[in-house]
Amino acid sequence: MEIIRTEALIKDYELGKVKVRALDGIDISINSGEFVAIMGPSGSGKSTLMHIIGCLDSPTAGEYYLDSVLVSKMSKSALAGVRNSKIGFVFQSFNLLPHLNILKNVELPMMYGGLSASKRKVRAQEILEGVGLADRLKHKPGELSGGERQRVAISRAIANNPSILLADEPTGNLDSQAGGDILEIFDRLHKEGNTIIMVTHDPIVAERAQRIIRIKDGLIDNGDLDS
Amino acid sequence: MAISIAESLHIGLSDITTRKVRSIATIFGIILGVISILVVLAIINGMNASTLTWMEQRGGTSKVDVQRNWNYDFSKGGEANLSLAEVEQIRKMIPEAVAFNSQVSLYSHNELKYRGLSYYSTVSGVLPDYLQVENWGVSEGRFITDLDVHESSNVIVLGSSAARDLIGTNDVVGKKISLGNNVLEVIGILDEKSWDNKQSGSFGGNMLEYMNQQSFIPISTAINRFDNTMKVSSLQVTAQSPNQALTLQKKLDQILLNLKQGREIFRVSSAQEGIMQMQANARIFSMVFVLISAISLLVAGIVIMNIMLASVKERTREIGVRIAVGARRIDIFIQFMIQTVLITTLGGVLGIGLGLLILDNISAYLEMEMIVDFRIMFSSVLVSVVVGLVFGIMPALRAGNLDPVDALRED
Repeated sequence: MEIIRTEALIKDYELGKVKVRALDGIDISINSGEFVAIMGPSGSGKSTLMHIIGCLDSPTAGEYYLDSVLVSKMSKSALAGVRNSKIGFVFQSFNLLPHLNILKNVELPMMYGGLSASKRKVRAQEILEGVGLADRLKHKPGELSGGERQRVAISRAIANNPSILLADEPTGNLDSQAGGDILEIFDRLHKEGNTIIMVTHDPIVAERAQRIIRIKDGLIDNGDLDS
Repeated sequence: MAISIAESLHIGLSDITTRKVRSIATIFGIILGVISILVVLAIINGMNASTLTWMEQRGGTSKVDVQRNWNYDFSKGGEANLSLAEVEQIRKMIPEAVAFNSQVSLYSHNELKYRGLSYYSTVSGVLPDYLQVENWGVSEGRFITDLDVHESSNVIVLGSSAARDLIGTNDVVGKKISLGNNVLEVIGILDEKSWDNKQSGSFGGNMLEYMNQQSFIPISTAINRFDNTMKVSSLQVTAQSPNQALTLQKKLDQILLNLKQGREIFRVSSAQEGIMQMQANARIFSMVFVLISAISLLVAGIVIMNIMLASVKERTREIGVRIAVGARRIDIFIQFMIQTVLITTLGGVLGIGLGLLILDNISAYLEMEMIVDFRIMFSSVLVSVVVGLVFGIMPALRAGNLDPVDALRED
């Protein structure tokens, strides 16, 4: 089943008086349960594409269907709902809230989703136990190693059972040992049926994916036939 | 799906507690502003209450007084008194008055004598209604009655100090004292009048002590047995209500002008008029100080706004993260609004606490009455909430309008 489809996605940025085209007509299709890597040099538009897929940004033109719903024309507050329930983000720099303990960090999307305090606590505990952080629940992110922090971030990303997991260079700030552990977790999540889209420039990381989408100058480099 | 207010409150509170020093710095201006509001309102409140007590002691808020107009130039003719016939005429023209007294003063007879002791007292001839128009009562015995007036009885009612100093404190009623060539029977003692303006020195003490040194006989006794040329020099009337008093005041003024051929020989005043004057004064006083407080709160508000703007800037990435996991603009907006309002409200509450502490000390030092009631505390808190709402809007809007992509890129 197709979970993501974009049709002729175009994104322009205004830099002063100059108009820069970041995406120049991207057509991609990703099925539910797929593990896809998006690769490309910096400035290729892969980050822009990820932002649009993640509903953090809207395309200038073109259409984007997520779960068969046209989200490219949605209002900003409707997009917030989509991000909350259908998308889980994992960032290169973790992006955990430093003042909250890791339990609260994982609860955050569930809080904005309107889940009751007791339910989200149980769920957050469950997920964190699943990534081996059961004994760290009350720790602040600053007290954890990079690998542990990224495990918290993954836990937060899957808290609301999203349709897709969007990971932006998830191992970029980690040593190879911790990075390997994180990729193991992504493998496991994939085997459990999650759809994973990972932006990376590391070919070794990309090899984990079933399929690689290469972006160059705002266009798909060699199509979605590459695998 | 929106997050609940309770959730936002929780976020706001934990934000404040994790940034304690900043929160205290932010709060400081508000605390000072609220303290100044509290102190000023308490002073005004105290002044009003004190003046009202004075009014009550002087005959209540429905009283209307007719007295000689000391500004009148008597070379233009006329006399500053009323004949008994004129008094009766006036009385008939104001049937709406609930109490009516006419008064003569025995300036020529003021030495009360009892068993070789003498006591100098201002002796007035009055009607039975005097007790009511002055809001007074007797502590022992009785006051002058209609029968006393009708028969020009040789009776006298003493003020509390006069009774104590002349006769003592036991069995005063029934004693016979002499005034001029007449022997009068003491039929009653008046309640003690007291009003302390809480000032020290020569202006301090009981401001109404002079009333306790007075004594009263029936008006008919004064005229028939002491001086039959004596005329009425003042009237006191009680209206049905403080508002009626103003109407009655105007009416009496008109009656007296007609009676005296348009000459302003008498001045008609009402307690209500005095209260309105006092309120007008208090209003000016409070407006000046409220303005000063408002300026200090404005400054406090601007400080808060700047600190919150800096806070939004500093927490850009956090805001980006919240947006990424599903917070809507309104959620972010509310989060920052609530935080600002919580800070200012906390400042308001602390300001009230400190203000009460300060008031306690300065009111003892200044010997001034200052009254803080629930209304004042409520409005102080309300003002701090409003400051938070007004000055929280800009930072909250800025936070809510952040672009998530830019916000997440921020270091």
